[in-house]
Amino acid sequence: MSQYLPLVVLLALAVVFGILSFFASRLLAPRRPSSAKEAPYECGIVPSREPPERFPVSFYVVAMLFIMFDIEIIFLYPYAVNHSTLGFYGFWAILFFSVIFFATFVYEVARGGLDWGPMQRYRQLATDAAMVTPERTLASTVRRVGTEGREPESSSPSAA
Amino acid sequence: MIAIDPLLEGRLLWTPLLIVILKVVVVFVIGLVSTIFMVNFERKMVSGLQNRIGPNRAGPRGIFQALADGIKSFFKEDLLPSRADRVVFRLAPFLSFVPAFLIWSVIPLGGEFGPNDDGTLKDGTVVWFGEVTRVQLADPPIGILVVLALSSIAVYGIMLAGWSSGSKYPLLGSVRASAQMVSYEAALGLSLAAVLLSAGTLSTASIVAQQDSFVNWNLVSTGIVPFIVFLIATTAELNRPPFDLVEAEQELVGGFNTEYSGIRFALFFLSEFMGVVTMSAVIVTLFFGGPQPLFLGDVNVLAFLGPLSGTAWFALKLLGFLYLFVWFRATLPRLRYDQLMDFGWKILIPVALGWFLLLAALREFSPDGTFADSLRVVVISLAVGAAAGGLFLLALRVAQNNRLEADETPPTREGVTT
Repeated sequence: MSQYLPLVVLLALAVVFGILSFFASRLLAPRRPSSAKEAPYECGIVPSREPPERFPVSFYVVAMLFIMFDIEIIFLYPYAVNHSTLGFYGFWAILFFSVIFFATFVYEVARGGLDWGPMQRYRQLATDAAMVTPERTLASTVRRVGTEGREPESSSPSAA
Repeated sequence: MIAIDPLLEGRLLWTPLLIVILKVVVVFVIGLVSTIFMVNFERKMVSGLQNRIGPNRAGPRGIFQALADGIKSFFKEDLLPSRADRVVFRLAPFLSFVPAFLIWSVIPLGGEFGPNDDGTLKDGTVVWFGEVTRVQLADPPIGILVVLALSSIAVYGIMLAGWSSGSKYPLLGSVRASAQMVSYEAALGLSLAAVLLSAGTLSTASIVAQQDSFVNWNLVSTGIVPFIVFLIATTAELNRPPFDLVEAEQELVGGFNTEYSGIRFALFFLSEFMGVVTMSAVIVTLFFGGPQPLFLGDVNVLAFLGPLSGTAWFALKLLGFLYLFVWFRATLPRLRYDQLMDFGWKILIPVALGWFLLLAALREFSPDGTFADSLRVVVISLAVGAAAGGLFLLALRVAQNNRLEADETPPTREGVTT
């Protein structure tokens, strides 16, 4: 195990470096906390909601698939390193394993486990043609918001 | 061939211990200096590629800019957000910084290579103070697994940093980052298996010692495909452009480290740039023979440097990859998240797995490498590969049809009506 001695020494040195720089920062840096500084960063807007605690389930699917692939890799490495002693038996075993593994991966893909984001569609020409008709004006396509309690504009240019 | 550092065999005496401590300090300094160099190199190169001047105030031609930035961060207030998980928030910078440093320990940084007087090849060991050793901090028999393990731990640093901040954008950034990093880690591991197949060992020193001429470089002997997969996967693993979805400023402010400031942010920054240098060093070690010289005929061009020529070759190759990463950043636009995931799972991973099986089949059924044998294996493999590819395309088609059926109302491009 003495081969790992330098790793341990470097680990200790790196940790000590990190801790020392923390102490240096504590000595040198100002400490003037305020509630505005400690609030979650929202680009200048005062945060109005709790931070989200849930995220899309696709991320979990990816994490589970990764565990599967990691196991595949764990089995591949011993074969890759010792393939000359394992010979044909090792190769067929790895191939058999990879085929089963690939089949499950194909099933996963077919069930849509790796589909992200919206569908890729081709736009239809008819929909595109409808975009440039004279019926579409500012009044019909733009919805005005925030007009509650305000005087309606008398001479709206888009009314025509 | 010894897969271990002869220095640390037998009883541990004072001289080897002092050499170990000397090596650790030297590697530590190399790590820090190379990171500072990398920050400057990147900023200067990108500014050149974008036709602007770049940093030019601190020191001649701005070479002390990164150092000045680092020193400045000591004097900046270190905020702890009120909603943060205090312990994890403090721990996360260490989890990403320490592993980045430790990868240096298994990288062969130099050594003596080339033919001996009696025609045998030198195996890279050197003699220091009467002790035989390697120009490498440690050479454990599982060297490459150490690299993989450390790069996996780095995922924790990023994930926990975002999760513990108690804020919207860091959480999104870290969830994205961990999914991206584990996805490409699978591709990384599979392409690495092809290298191990031709090396037959996990020790980095032995992998380097085997690549003693250009045709024996793993770049050539594994075919170029594993190298390309590895390079792309490394870029994604490091969250470098074009895979820097983690810190897509337009969507996520700063990504997982939005809430970090002062010295904690500096540690993340340091580990990010150190990661670029260390992973470039890993690529050089695995595919480009590490400190092995590239012979022009029989001539080692850098032989005049004597014992330092190995280190010089290593630095030269390393510099090439550092430039490549900067070049990627200056040239390639960022991918969309679904493109990123599709590319990783549906292209890189099947290609890496298929190529590994092809190489394994070639080694089993065409051990002598005769043309007829190899051709037969390749033809059969191509047939099997085509069948697998067809099945995969079918799966993609099925997935798409299912989605088409799922949403029955295709979105029209009608405008919003009042």
